[in-house]
Amino acid sequence: MPTDVRRRGRQPRLGVDRVLCSGHGVCAHTLPERVRLDEWGYPIVDSEVVDAREGAQAVRLCPARALFLRD
Amino acid sequence: MSAMSILDELAEAGLTGRGGAGFPAAVKVRAAHENRAALIVNCCDGEVGAVKDGWVVAHHLPQVRAGVELVLPTGRRRPPVVYAAHRGSATAARLREDGLDVLEAPPRYVSSEETALISLWHGGHARPMTKREPFVRGGRDSQGRRIRPTVVLNAETLWRVAQVRAHGPAWFAAQGTPAEPGPRLLAVRGAVTAPGVLETAAGMPFPAIFEAARGLRPGVEYVLVGGLGGVLLSRWEAESTTWSTPGLAPFGGTPGPGIVEALDPARCPAQVIAELLAYGAGESAGQCGPCMFGLPSIAADWAELTDAAHPAAFETTLARLRARVGLVAGRGACRHPDGVARLTASALRTLTPHLRDHTHGRCTARSLTHAH
Repeated sequence: MPTDVRRRGRQPRLGVDRVLCSGHGVCAHTLPERVRLDEWGYPIVDSEVVDAREGAQAVRLCPARALFLRD
Repeated sequence: MSAMSILDELAEAGLTGRGGAGFPAAVKVRAAHENRAALIVNCCDGEVGAVKDGWVVAHHLPQVRAGVELVLPTGRRRPPVVYAAHRGSATAARLREDGLDVLEAPPRYVSSEETALISLWHGGHARPMTKREPFVRGGRDSQGRRIRPTVVLNAETLWRVAQVRAHGPAWFAAQGTPAEPGPRLLAVRGAVTAPGVLETAAGMPFPAIFEAARGLRPGVEYVLVGGLGGVLLSRWEAESTTWSTPGLAPFGGTPGPGIVEALDPARCPAQVIAELLAYGAGESAGQCGPCMFGLPSIAADWAELTDAAHPAAFETTLARLRARVGLVAGRGACRHPDGVARLTASALRTLTPHLRDHTHGRCTARSLTHAH
C-alpha cells in the first residue's frame, strides 16, 4: 500500500482499524500533530491527511497493526 | 417487460436503502453487479422498536423475492443469496417455510449491522468489521480472513425494488418528497391508541402520524424518533415538524430505520433514556475501545445526572458527559457509538431542564414521586 500511495504522489489519509486498536498510544508519538489520545488511551485523529512518509512510518510502528493509509 | 434496466429504474425512482443509512440503491446495486457480489437480505429489525422488516416478510415475501431476482446480476453464475433474521424469530420461521436459506443472527443489537452479518456469513462472529474498503468489493476482516464481495439490502428495500419495476419509477417518485421519494414503512409504538406499522412516506407531519395511530394517549410529552440511535423530541417539537430529513435535521435526527415512539407519560423520561443508554452500553460488541469504554461511561454519567442531589455535582457531570458524547462518534467499526451519542446529545437538549428539576427533588412524571 505505501508504494502505491507514493506512486500517486498524493497525501494519503490515516485510518484506524478500531477492532485491532488496543490503545498502545504509539501513534500519538509518531504523529503528535495529528493524533491525541482519549481518556482511555485510544487515538483521536484530528486531521486524517498525513504526509505519505510520516504516515507509512506510523503504520509500521503501530504495535497492534491497527493503522492504515487510504487515498 | 420493461425497456429500462433495473439500475436505470432505481436511479430514476430515487430509491434509497430503507435500513436507516439511506444510501442510493442504484449505486449499491451497480457496485454489486460490477463485483458479482453475494447478497444478504437483512430482515432483522435490529433497532430498538423496529418491526417493519418482519412485517414486510410476513406480508410481502413474494415481492421481496421478486426484488432479489431483479437486483441479482444476469449471467452464468448466480451469486449466493441468504436471508438474515434473528435466531428463533417468527421471521426466521416464515423465511424457512418458503424454503429460503436463512442466516440466523444472535438477538443482539449490533449483530444485524451489515458488516456483522457479512462476518457471520463468512463463519465469523456476528460482530461488526472495520470497513477499510466497502465490502461490496470484497476485502479482509481485521484478522486477515478473506471476505468475498457481499452486499446487504434490507427486506423493505427489496420490496420497493419490486414495486419500482411493477409500477414504474414515476409512480414511486410521485410519493414522499422530491428529495426523499417513495413509500416508506414506519413503526409507531408506545403511548398511542393503535400501535403498528404505518405505510407512509417522508414528509408526513407528525400530527398526521399520530392521527393514523388513532391519537396519542393523554399526557404524552416526549417522542423518540429512530430508537436507540435516534433523537428525543418534545411533543410540541414533533407536532411542529414532519417525518423527513429536513424536518428532523434541526433536532439532529433522520427518518432512519422508521420508528416513532411516544414515551409513556407515566414514566420519568430521564429514566427511560437511562435504561436505553444502559442497554446500548451492554450491546457494545466490546471490540472498539471508544465504544467499549465510552458507552458505559456515558450511561453512568446519565444515571448520575438523573440522581444528582446537588446542582454543583450536576454541572460537573453534565460537562463531563457533553465532552464524552462529542468524542465517541465516528470512532467505532460500526455506527453504534454514533447512534448512542446522537441519542444522548438530543436527550440532553430536550431533558436538561427536567434533569435540573431532579436536583431539587422534583420530577414532573408521576411515577417518580413513588420511585424517588
